[in-house]
Amino acid sequence: MTQMAQANDRRKSPALHQPFIGPDYGSQWLADFRRAAVAHFDRIGYPSADDEQWRFINLAPITQTAFQPVAEPGHIAPQDMAKYSLAGRGCHELTFIDGVFAPAQSHFLGLDGLIEFHSIKNAAGGHSERVSRYLGHELPTMSNGFAALNAAGFADGMFLYLPAGVVVDKPIHILWITSRHKRPTVVFPRLLISGCSQSRATVMQTFASLDSDHPVLTNAATEAICGRDSQLELITIEREASHAFHITNQAAHVHAGANVQTLAFNTGALLVRNNLSVHLAEPFAQATINGLVISSGNQRVDNHTLLDHARENCPSHELYKSLLAGNAAGVFRGKILVRPDAQKTDSKQTSKTMLLSDDAVMNSQPQLEIYANDVKCTHGSTTGPIDEEQLFYLRSRGVSEVQARSLLTYAFAGDVLNRVMSPVAREILSQLTADCLRQLHIDAVGS
Amino acid sequence: MALLEVKNLHAKVQGREILKGIDLTINPGEVHAIMGPNGSGKSTLASVLAGRENYEVTDGAAIFNGKDILELSPDERACEGLFLAFQYPVEIPGVSTSYFLKAAVNAIRKYRGEPELDAMDFLKLIKEKMKLLEMDQSFMNRSINEGFSGGEKKRNEIFQMTVLDPKLCILDETDSGLDIDALKIVSQGVNALRNPNRGILLVTHYQRLLNYIVPDFVHVLRDGRIIKSGDKSLALELEAKGYGWLENAA
Repeated sequence: MTQMAQANDRRKSPALHQPFIGPDYGSQWLADFRRAAVAHFDRIGYPSADDEQWRFINLAPITQTAFQPVAEPGHIAPQDMAKYSLAGRGCHELTFIDGVFAPAQSHFLGLDGLIEFHSIKNAAGGHSERVSRYLGHELPTMSNGFAALNAAGFADGMFLYLPAGVVVDKPIHILWITSRHKRPTVVFPRLLISGCSQSRATVMQTFASLDSDHPVLTNAATEAICGRDSQLELITIEREASHAFHITNQAAHVHAGANVQTLAFNTGALLVRNNLSVHLAEPFAQATINGLVISSGNQRVDNHTLLDHARENCPSHELYKSLLAGNAAGVFRGKILVRPDAQKTDSKQTSKTMLLSDDAVMNSQPQLEIYANDVKCTHGSTTGPIDEEQLFYLRSRGVSEVQARSLLTYAFAGDVLNRVMSPVAREILSQLTADCLRQLHIDAVGS
Repeated sequence: MALLEVKNLHAKVQGREILKGIDLTINPGEVHAIMGPNGSGKSTLASVLAGRENYEVTDGAAIFNGKDILELSPDERACEGLFLAFQYPVEIPGVSTSYFLKAAVNAIRKYRGEPELDAMDFLKLIKEKMKLLEMDQSFMNRSINEGFSGGEKKRNEIFQMTVLDPKLCILDETDSGLDIDALKIVSQGVNALRNPNRGILLVTHYQRLLNYIVPDFVHVLRDGRIIKSGDKSLALELEAKGYGWLENAA
């Protein structure tokens, strides 16, 4: 065995020698796609601590556990579903239970007139031409071991095709919910969005898992192609169970004049790693990428982003905010790549963290790689505690400590929330943020 | 019963003793002024009474409304009816004045077992009080103190005082940084709050404020102790002779 192969062997988990391979649903292209993914994982394995991009995250709890894929989707009780469903809050809703599309628990009246949407399982048969054209192109299996495992193993997924010029008023909410299992379980959510020119939509994904005695691993992949002059808002809400592991790979390819806006909201899982890559492929493509992390206990949330400016005249704006309490640890690595043709790039990156306990820790760093000479790239990072003077001011008026801390931390999160374009989504996220923060303070202070 | 009884109060901050035995009694309906040179402990006294964290009380007591307030948190003291108008009111971007004030009003009402105000009743209360201080409606939608001048911030403090209806108002150098017009409006607001049940404690460096808010009692603080007390004429004497005059008296 060569030295390289030996090294890679070490990188693979002893608990998982062979990547799980999902069904091909009778489709040759899907079978080939999976095969390529398996070959790729065999070459690169899991990321290791030697990888610069994975240095700050301890993957052992994941790689040392024999997570099994779901054999049969489980059952979610109505009261559990109700906690996460947004159908009653003004959204179309496409529900996936244990990674498999559940039309009976979905609410998409009016959506089928507007856009095309297919579970990938079904698309593998009928609309495979479009799906096969786009799947895996933005998120090539080359990116990292987790993306390769998702490509090899996803059971089902959602393909959204937004025809040219369509305007979808209500947010499209994709709810990925994992039921209770009797052993460590892995689910591979997969979303592919093809937004044709001048289409406009807000797509929200919620990742949720029910409390159980066994850990859950969500290994999700999202790809979006943003056609010329289109507008896509892509919101990810992670509200997983407290023992869950959550890894996402998201990639967007942005054409001329198109605008992509993302928000990554993380508050539930024990260990989170989000990889987001936005490729501003053509002139006047724009991106705004935002993040909001609310963590406590022993949670670890690692956000790695890449804003890839390939061509001229593209503005990009990045704002990631974290609120860390208890023993929580946050990592932010925002890379801005400005290629030689990307003159007149205007890029601004900001990372701000509020530390709410003595033990919370934040590790925040920008990475700039600039090859063009007429660009504007600014970056800034701040980390600090709650302002004691502000806290005292509120309390001196009779506001309790829990309420005062809630107000101040909510205000801190405010500018991220204000950037959400869809008013429906903004309201949902504001409520969720207020609830999370209030609970965090109650746990810390006692009500 | 006295509204506030401070007995032999000693306090230190950052290891240094600032208050070295303060005795002060404020009865309902009285307006007291505490004057003194810089560093005498005037703001420290206000901070200790309001419950600011970095101040350590090393001896003595402060009884407010029959309760030992040194045992209470800042929000409990506010609910008991104590109000501190800050010398440097802090800005709180992202927290709307309206939301905050309604939360404060209702926290105090809840503490007292009174029913909380809904949005409409709160609005009515606010409109009434705004007229008194010649304030603009739009102020309520702004973030707390954000974008206001120093004088406007002081006026906002008096406005909050008017809305929250406290039993004891402590005004910490409210006059500092105010021009004559602002001073008049602020004084108007404070004077409108004078009543037989309420006590007011003015902490001030200059006598000028006391022309507009005429005190019943004036105390001079020097080096952490009250060295002389008198009526409003004491303030005029100080103005004429300076604090040094009292060095000999101490």
